[in-house]
Amino acid sequence: MRSAIFAAALLIATTLCLSTVKRPIGSPRLVSVEELADYNEICPPEPASHNRSMIAALEENNLFAAFTETSVRAEGDTADVTRPPVRTIKDTYPIYSSVAVDPLRDEVVLQDTNLFGIKIFSRLENTPSDVEAAKPKRVIQGPKTLNEYNNGLYIDPKTGNIHTVAMDTADSMLVFPGGADGDVAPIRKLNTPHRNFATAANEEKGEIYITIQYPPKVMVYRKEANADEKPLRVLEGPHTLLYDTHGIALDVKRNLMFVGTWGNASDHKVAGTGRFYPPSINVYPLDASGDTAPLRVIQGPKTQLDWAGGMKLDPDTQEIYVANDVGNSILVFRETDAGNVAPSRIIKGSKTGLNHPAGISIDTMNKEFWVSNMGNSSATCYSLKANGDAAPVRTIRSAPVGRQSVKFGKPQAVAYDSKREQYLVPN
Amino acid sequence: MNTPQIAVFARLAKENTTPVRALEGQKTRISRTMHALAYDSIHDEIVVNSPLAQAVLFFRGAANGEEPPVRVIQGPHTLIQGTDYDGNDKMTFDEVHGEIIIPVAGPKVLVFSRESNGDVAPLRVLAGPDTQIRGSVRGHPLVGVDPTNNLLIVGSTGGQGGGRDGDASEGGRGRGALVIFDRTASGNAKPLRVIQGPNTAFGGVGQIQTYPPKGWIIAGVLGGGIGAWSIHDSGDAAPRWKIPVRQISSSAQTGIQSVARHIDCHRRQGGHRRQRWPERSSDVLLARNLRISKFPSSCQEGMTPRSGAKCPSSVPLLL
Repeated sequence: MRSAIFAAALLIATTLCLSTVKRPIGSPRLVSVEELADYNEICPPEPASHNRSMIAALEENNLFAAFTETSVRAEGDTADVTRPPVRTIKDTYPIYSSVAVDPLRDEVVLQDTNLFGIKIFSRLENTPSDVEAAKPKRVIQGPKTLNEYNNGLYIDPKTGNIHTVAMDTADSMLVFPGGADGDVAPIRKLNTPHRNFATAANEEKGEIYITIQYPPKVMVYRKEANADEKPLRVLEGPHTLLYDTHGIALDVKRNLMFVGTWGNASDHKVAGTGRFYPPSINVYPLDASGDTAPLRVIQGPKTQLDWAGGMKLDPDTQEIYVANDVGNSILVFRETDAGNVAPSRIIKGSKTGLNHPAGISIDTMNKEFWVSNMGNSSATCYSLKANGDAAPVRTIRSAPVGRQSVKFGKPQAVAYDSKREQYLVPN
Repeated sequence: MNTPQIAVFARLAKENTTPVRALEGQKTRISRTMHALAYDSIHDEIVVNSPLAQAVLFFRGAANGEEPPVRVIQGPHTLIQGTDYDGNDKMTFDEVHGEIIIPVAGPKVLVFSRESNGDVAPLRVLAGPDTQIRGSVRGHPLVGVDPTNNLLIVGSTGGQGGGRDGDASEGGRGRGALVIFDRTASGNAKPLRVIQGPNTAFGGVGQIQTYPPKGWIIAGVLGGGIGAWSIHDSGDAAPRWKIPVRQISSSAQTGIQSVARHIDCHRRQGGHRRQRWPERSSDVLLARNLRISKFPSSCQEGMTPRSGAKCPSSVPLLL
């Protein structure tokens, strides 16, 4: 009787124990690394034949069966694994890095840095909400274009030529003729240093400026420069206070150059010189070269600068417009500003349609400015008097309403967060 | 490409899936050219270089938005030095031993404790002519670590770097080598083995990954794609397998992450160290220019090809 009671109790206890064992949620992960006492072999010994037999059992459809313990000098062919991926994370929609409005031809040009295309729309395009994507007038895209990670953008007002900065793998500035369409070769390809970003032109002097993020500098070339032509001058050096250079705007009437920086600094020639500075807009003489210090610097928490991208000048009002990417805003400064100053106007809010604004273009003829939004495949147009939570007057949209970008365009690494079962993808 | 966010995706994310969160903005201190990052599953942290600022940043594992790092390694004592082309873009992380391994100009390989913060000296520096570490003309060597088999793998690329394969002549990527050291090698140490020769075809990728349970070294192969070598390979060893991948842009930058499953153990300095590994069938993630792809491995769980301490694959996970 006692043994029967004990057996019943044991059965109940076992059942309760098993029922309360929690199954792991999600994916197990590396949770501990523990120093253990020396018990000789911590793992159960294996029979000598185990390795060989296991490998033999796995050889069919097993790519890794040939791995053995001995050092080898491999012979024979490499096995090609041709199966397709089970999933691919990518963005199939445009990601608009830059915008330029051409009021003379009533066109808006958008740089699609995701699909390596340049899309040209009517300036008056305003995509209805029930349309999935606006139809461009022309698309410059294809292998002949040499476009890769295109960003900086400038339209020649006389010819309509499109100057596009291929900012990473192609290390160049490409020039396409006005009216270009399809898979066409550029008429010029100027080779530039790596990490080029933005461009601006001085039509009076026939010069084109290109910013280089790192090592930070501003290159100034003949506007018609081609191939390996050397720059006319270069602004670089420790006194320039250029740290991770980005946008650029010119005031040719007042001989000023405005350059945006993100503050990531180091001298690659000297170990341990890394520093982080606050972001800034540095103001230089238009013809500055060499190690020239800025005339003044707009910098500090009041500026709200946060990964500022494109910058443009309104020559009529002497205002600097800044596409403030992570701030999800457009900041407007007076070109005489200096130090820790607040913008004179901020366009920001839920009505604006801004979503990671990265490029900006001023249309003084029609009193408007355009913004390219990297976060939602759109470009939005506003009155030059806009302020606060201003709705756009027109929107060019190349993806369904509400669509958000994948937020990467050029991943070169990937990691796996086993705790959250998530992929980490740096851009 | 314009902005250097770290986007985070659910495991089952696919085409046009929106990230669940993203690290971005001035306060994060991240910068362009992040060609390596790691997740520390023991301490739940993200480790990434800030390549233009000669720095290493540590974030909370759940970091989101404009969140500052919890620690920063940066300063004169660190000896961190980038190049004009690559900045300091490479890194690998040994979560078992809590060490960050960074190749820098020189070429040198620096090792820091994960607990480092501020202007600290590296724990070890591996450099010198006997190491056979060559780097590349414009960038750094690549690094990978196998904490179980106690190996440090240095991809001595030679050539142009920056993901450009170059030619197979002297100085080109065809002269690339996988140089295998004891994990704790320092100074002017000689490698244990060198995989080098015309058949090796190593090159064109920005990361080296290892899968310790099977002794894989996963790295790039010339002409695109990734290949796998054994940690026991030496000499002119061709990759055991490769996944060819179509090249999208004019250079072949690619990152790799192996998502592995295993429980393993090995002896260490008279004691034993037990490691639990992620329980996910051995997938290979491939970051290639505009996309992230996940490839399955048909390989079943095998055994650690290391003499001295083998673990049968049937050891249950104790989680």
